[in-house]
Amino acid sequence: MIATGLLTQVALLALAIVLALATPVRYRAVLTGPVVAGIGLAGALTGWAALSGAHGSVNVPVTLPLGPVTLAPTPLGGFFMLVIGAVGSVCAVYAIGYVHGPSASKTSWVALATFLTAMQLVPASADVVSFLLAWELMAVTSTVLVLTEHADRPSVRNATLWYASMTQLSFFLLLVGFAILSAQAGSTQFVALRAAEWDSTAANVAFVSLLLGFAAKAGIVPLHVWLPRAHPEAPSHVSALMSAAMVKLGVYGAILVSTEFLVSRTTWWSVLILALGTVSAVYGILQASVASDIKRLLAFSTTENIGLMFLALGAASLLRAYETTAVADVALAACLLLVLAHAAFKTTLFLGAGSILRATGHRDLDLLGGLGSRMPLTSVTFGIGALGAAALPLTIGFVAEWVLLQALIHGAGSHNRILAITMPVAVGAVALTAGLALMTFVKAYGIAFLARPRSEGASRAQESPASMRLALVAGAALVIGLGLVPGLTADIVAVAAGLDGVGSVGLAGVDLPGVSATLDPSLLLLLGIVLALPVVAVSVRNARRRPRRNVDLAWGCGGVRVSPRMQYTATSYAEPLSRIFDDSLRPERDVIVTHSTEARYLVERIQYRQRLSDVFESRLYLPVIATIDRVGAAAKNLQNGKINFYLAYSFVAFLVVLMVVSL
Amino acid sequence: MNGGASVLALIQVLAMAVLTPLLVGLMRQVRARLEGRAGAGVLQPWRDLRKLFAKEPLRAPGISWVQAVGPVVLVVSSLVLCSLIPLVGTVAFPGLPDDLFVVVGVLLIGTVALALVGLDAGSAFGGMGSSRHMTIAALVEPTVLVSIYALSVPIGSSALSRIVDARIQAPASVAAPVSLLAMVSLAIAVIAETSRMPVDNPSTHLELTMVHEAMVLESSGRDLGWLELGSWLRLGALLGLIGTLTVPFGMAVEVAPVPVLVGMLTLAIRLAVLGAVLATVEVFLAKLRLFRVPELLAGSFVLALLAVTASYLTVTV
Amino acid sequence: MSATLYAQAIGMCSAVLLLSAVLLVWRRAQAAALPLMSLQGLALAALVGVLGIEAGSPELLALALLVLVFKGIVLPLVLVRSSRGERGGAPLINTATSLIAMAGLTALAYAVSAPLAALGSGPTVQAIPVGIALVLYGFLLLVTGRHAIVQLVGFLVIDNGTSTVAFLSSGGVPIIVELGVVLDVLLVILILYVLTGRIRDEFGATDLDDLTELRD
Repeated sequence: MIATGLLTQVALLALAIVLALATPVRYRAVLTGPVVAGIGLAGALTGWAALSGAHGSVNVPVTLPLGPVTLAPTPLGGFFMLVIGAVGSVCAVYAIGYVHGPSASKTSWVALATFLTAMQLVPASADVVSFLLAWELMAVTSTVLVLTEHADRPSVRNATLWYASMTQLSFFLLLVGFAILSAQAGSTQFVALRAAEWDSTAANVAFVSLLLGFAAKAGIVPLHVWLPRAHPEAPSHVSALMSAAMVKLGVYGAILVSTEFLVSRTTWWSVLILALGTVSAVYGILQASVASDIKRLLAFSTTENIGLMFLALGAASLLRAYETTAVADVALAACLLLVLAHAAFKTTLFLGAGSILRATGHRDLDLLGGLGSRMPLTSVTFGIGALGAAALPLTIGFVAEWVLLQALIHGAGSHNRILAITMPVAVGAVALTAGLALMTFVKAYGIAFLARPRSEGASRAQESPASMRLALVAGAALVIGLGLVPGLTADIVAVAAGLDGVGSVGLAGVDLPGVSATLDPSLLLLLGIVLALPVVAVSVRNARRRPRRNVDLAWGCGGVRVSPRMQYTATSYAEPLSRIFDDSLRPERDVIVTHSTEARYLVERIQYRQRLSDVFESRLYLPVIATIDRVGAAAKNLQNGKINFYLAYSFVAFLVVLMVVSL
Repeated sequence: MNGGASVLALIQVLAMAVLTPLLVGLMRQVRARLEGRAGAGVLQPWRDLRKLFAKEPLRAPGISWVQAVGPVVLVVSSLVLCSLIPLVGTVAFPGLPDDLFVVVGVLLIGTVALALVGLDAGSAFGGMGSSRHMTIAALVEPTVLVSIYALSVPIGSSALSRIVDARIQAPASVAAPVSLLAMVSLAIAVIAETSRMPVDNPSTHLELTMVHEAMVLESSGRDLGWLELGSWLRLGALLGLIGTLTVPFGMAVEVAPVPVLVGMLTLAIRLAVLGAVLATVEVFLAKLRLFRVPELLAGSFVLALLAVTASYLTVTV
Repeated sequence: MSATLYAQAIGMCSAVLLLSAVLLVWRRAQAAALPLMSLQGLALAALVGVLGIEAGSPELLALALLVLVFKGIVLPLVLVRSSRGERGGAPLINTATSLIAMAGLTALAYAVSAPLAALGSGPTVQAIPVGIALVLYGFLLLVTGRHAIVQLVGFLVIDNGTSTVAFLSSGGVPIIVELGVVLDVLLVILILYVLTGRIRDEFGATDLDDLTELRD
């Protein structure tokens, strides 16, 4: 079953490539899109098979000097294949209607199909070589995809440069880490790595290297700088794929490292993961809450969610090191539930943002507005996605956060000072990010869809074509559906990571016997409906007796001419927050006041400019890059044009090698 | 068990629906008397609601379905709060979560609904109120969660009914230092969440000082009626929560006529006392500048965090 | 072949190789380039032949013939044709300094090959420092030559040196490998031949200092 699934994916990939290259532009999307969706579906089914306990493997007959190439997904790998496959097929369906211009080209479709296949092969790998091969293939194809619209905007090239550098840095770190592990274990197979004994220095170096490599791919602070640049510049279906699926592989790697290969006997490893997660979560949502570009907002929200996943993973690892396995299981379940939840709502949100971009031509929230009446389906689905992202009840996001908080508050009961400090701080951090996420998504939804349009583009918006609508509905259905029957997802997660303390109860409610807590959202929904009936009845009766009356002007406290431009914008919505947190955000503000020529007391024009850049970029990366630039410029002096000098360099190198070898 | 719990929940909802407008009326009356005015009487909020429901709601151009649906969502979420929080009795459904985080989640649904109504208005004031309201809500959430977390540590569960049960059975724990710290921070958080002084002035007429009032500026008729009722229910529920946690005596531990009546009576007394105290404090406090509010909330967060650490240290000792 | 005769033959070939290299550097690798390069090729071929006779391997003898043809005849001819009887400019360092440098490099070659020599015994192993010295002399020619032709000579000397070390330490390389190396060298020489031709057409002479004008 598994082998057939894997081979089907490759076969469909070949078919997709042929279709993409052979068909003319008019039919390309309609023909290739469903095949790519099929790749995603095949991946999801293979993952499902792996979760149900099927065993199978594919040995690729490649004679690489490093080791054999095997694909044999474990239940955990199967879980990730399921998630990625589902996201992939939804995005592929969306792409059928969305692609235009450069994103409808042959290169783009070929890259998309290869990207999805590579992403699905990473969790299926059972040895280092196949893992790294699939990883690099994924990195290369995603770089090509990010570069799709480079002819339209110069910022795309910049973003791709950042993305490519960080991806290669991540690959390098992974290579170092895996090399150390394989050398110690004597084999490149994951089975051997799981069972091997490690000496402590090698284990420490390998752990840090692998963790940083996976953190760079996942978008953890301080290695996150590529995320807010690359995700907005990519075409929307690619952004959704990257944000909802690709960064999850960083989390998959981190889970592999901390729970299977290098199970921590030392606390500082877990505390490191926990700390990285906490900082990323808080910083990510802070930047998201003040962002006015909708895609940048969603990209930073991804950083926040990945931070929460790392936080959960760190807590699980820490608790396991202190022998509280029941609670550690719950924390790991929380991590996987967050993966699932984020995949569902982030797909919906990015695809919704794509619809907005396509309909209005704007990505900036300050230029949107009033789209709720013009694009009703997009508005509803985006709203549901926003509910999920803000972790409000009845969505899967809420379930994931609930499980995480249960793990954290029950985790510190074991008379341990470190736990007594880290767990409350973690709860506080999670609560803060939840609050800020709420504000961020109220802003995103409210400014974009409510009130009146703030620009020409927004007032001319029209609803998206059928395939895009279908994809949006699928995403939103997952957000709510999984949230109402979380027992099913809890069971899946328990199988994926081999956990005992998580399961389902009742009408598909979540049961955590280890910490004696249950959650049944469907009962909550029932209660809500029961209590809503009298209220709605009164409202409807009142509406018949006192129908709503249309007026020409809003009250506006007596202001008669209230233009749409006078409404609050996204920047103004987040202004109190940016002032409160200006130490962390460091915005640059410029106020230019032009006085009237007759009297200085009268103001003709006021210009307010605010620039928010990523603090890590300006304080950490730019100085490093400037230093490298200076060293490079100094090194240019070595290149003086004299051939004799160049030959002398190789001579000196040869002498050095001789002397080193002979010593 | 199930039937009893449903009956109790229904009783709580009805009791709160009746009591909270009276609570608000009482608060306004106390304030009026202290300020040397005659006041409008305790029944004025009921009269206001009756007036509002008799008027037509207005729709300005650009306003969408949020204006009609938002207030209903707010009221329903507040009613759900009233049924989940142990106010009259501590009998809970076996499957229905009166878990702390669920309660906070439901509270936030109401917050979001109100914020969206404010944004939908399409005026600068609505946006301003919405922005300030959400900023305060974002900063309050850590305090609320961590303070109730502090109270849940000795019990080992985050279900509110079990927390209150434990406090009924061990009255001395109410006066423990951990409990006091947690209650103080929770009180500050509740004041911020329900838009009372010093965070927001509920009776201001200056638009630039409004937080809650600005969001309901464009609503009229039944929309405004639901919004007002929803806010009052939230206030009542949260004050009731503080009362239950501070003075848990008299709560019904089983669903029988006499304990339930006693529970309702004690609920009314608790709400009245807390309301009067809050109103008195409001007379003597000035509203804080918006950018001083985060300091207040940060202070309450630190108190809550101290409470949690203290509770762990008392457990480990 | 008796042991002493064998040792003497190896020693003689090594000596000739060394001598030809010293003469190349002394004479600034210009007019005397052709006969000296042929001499080196011949000595190398003889070395391989002696090894082949001692080991009784026809393969090595065939290899010796190959080396004779290519390194003794073909490559030096190509070299002369590319220089077309030109006289080069003075090298970067004067003759005395280059001879002293050579002495230093020889000492270095002997010091570096001590671990290699400790691997085995016999006349072949003791002659390895010669091969390494040859490589270092070739580098010296490369680095200090101002004329493009000098660089070609230096490159060929390096190649001769590496072949010497290969034959002496392993007792022969597979014919395929040697063929590959020879073809590589041929290719490089041809490229450099074309290149020097172009440089001469462009500048009228092959003085490498002129090439610094190409730098950005």
